[in-house]
Amino acid sequence: MDKTEFYQRLAAILDIEEVKPENVLKDYDQWDSLAILSVLALADSQYGVTIRADEIRQVVTAADLATLIEAKRK
Amino acid sequence: MKSIFKNRKISAIVSVVPKEEYRFDDEYPIFKLTADKARRFKKMMSLDRHRIAPPNVCSSDLCQYGLQHLLNEGTLKKEEIGALIFVSQTPDYIMPPTSNVIQGKLGLGREMICLDINQGCSGFLLGLIQAFVLLEIAALPKVVLLNGDTCSKQTDKCNRISYPLTGDAGSVTVIERCEAENPIYMDVKNDGSRHKAIMIPAGGYRTPSTPETLKLREVEEGVVRNQEHVHMDGAAIFSFTMEDVPPQIDEILAFSGDTRESIEHFLFHQPNPFILKQMADKMKIPPEKLPNNVVSLYGNCSSATIPLNIALNCSEPLLRGSRRVCLSGFGVGLSWISMVMNLGPLDVCKIVDYEST
Repeated sequence: MDKTEFYQRLAAILDIEEVKPENVLKDYDQWDSLAILSVLALADSQYGVTIRADEIRQVVTAADLATLIEAKRK
Repeated sequence: MKSIFKNRKISAIVSVVPKEEYRFDDEYPIFKLTADKARRFKKMMSLDRHRIAPPNVCSSDLCQYGLQHLLNEGTLKKEEIGALIFVSQTPDYIMPPTSNVIQGKLGLGREMICLDINQGCSGFLLGLIQAFVLLEIAALPKVVLLNGDTCSKQTDKCNRISYPLTGDAGSVTVIERCEAENPIYMDVKNDGSRHKAIMIPAGGYRTPSTPETLKLREVEEGVVRNQEHVHMDGAAIFSFTMEDVPPQIDEILAFSGDTRESIEHFLFHQPNPFILKQMADKMKIPPEKLPNNVVSLYGNCSSATIPLNIALNCSEPLLRGSRRVCLSGFGVGLSWISMVMNLGPLDVCKIVDYEST
């Protein structure tokens, strides 16, 4: 999976310029239940993986999210 | 669980909506959203407007209005009704059943069955199954299925996520026997182990209503609710609709010998436009075959969304002739039911505005 592209897509969901791997998602004002829904949709449609509710709750940083999706693709 | 019904048909659908219409562009300041956040949310959910019943109007009023409409028009006669089924999660009372209340108000005959069913998203299809079964034993030739919910009363008006997506509606569907075999294919699945994904935690007998259960809390910015409002686990519902519903559609099409091409309309429950579009894309069903406009125009009105979807998007072809359709309702329970049938020609298929008398 192209990580640069993934972070760009995540930035688009959060409606910001750029997301860095170390950024903590809940620090963003826009990281709400709608953003989470958008991330689940992105994982499903672009990467073909389903993220469960309990998994997304454990994610802290943008890199965690990328790792989770990547692990599920294998 | 699969089954086939024969010699049954739907002959009329009337959808009833409150005439009070509210637009998201006018409402968003209530949710304390900035113009920018409102714009994002509006775009994501294709929000436009919804219909909300006044405080004194119940689901039963909407349904009764539709049934009276059919009786006035002469499409349906009181002495033909062998059973009255009321599917709702917003009944008038805990007891008696709302179907009995409606039967009494309309002065229907005594030689009939009155039945309330507690179901939401899959409730139109669960009600149809019940109607098909009751036709076997009813003394009179037609069964009336009422689906009604005033979902706006189960969410706080300041809840920026639930409230804009919510709508109130009722519907009346007439089901009767027919000479033609007209096979109707159905598949029913339930998974009660996930019942907490969509629930109203308090106000029943497990956790009775107290001042505490009515206390409003902000669970995230702009998301205000109490324990007697609907709680939804968005992530759990999303994975349910993506993982469990599409395989059922594949199963029912295989069972009825259909394909995505042979089905002319996929008339599904309308949770919200975002989730439904994801589902349609995943199932590779072209958007023109799967209407996704009910929430944008009326709001999600629980079990009344499928009949509203039919009346909104297919009334013209269904009044004229028969169409091959796939219906699917999925959600609270969790419960998911799909059917494939030839629908139409219908005697009536329309939306009427509810006027308080």
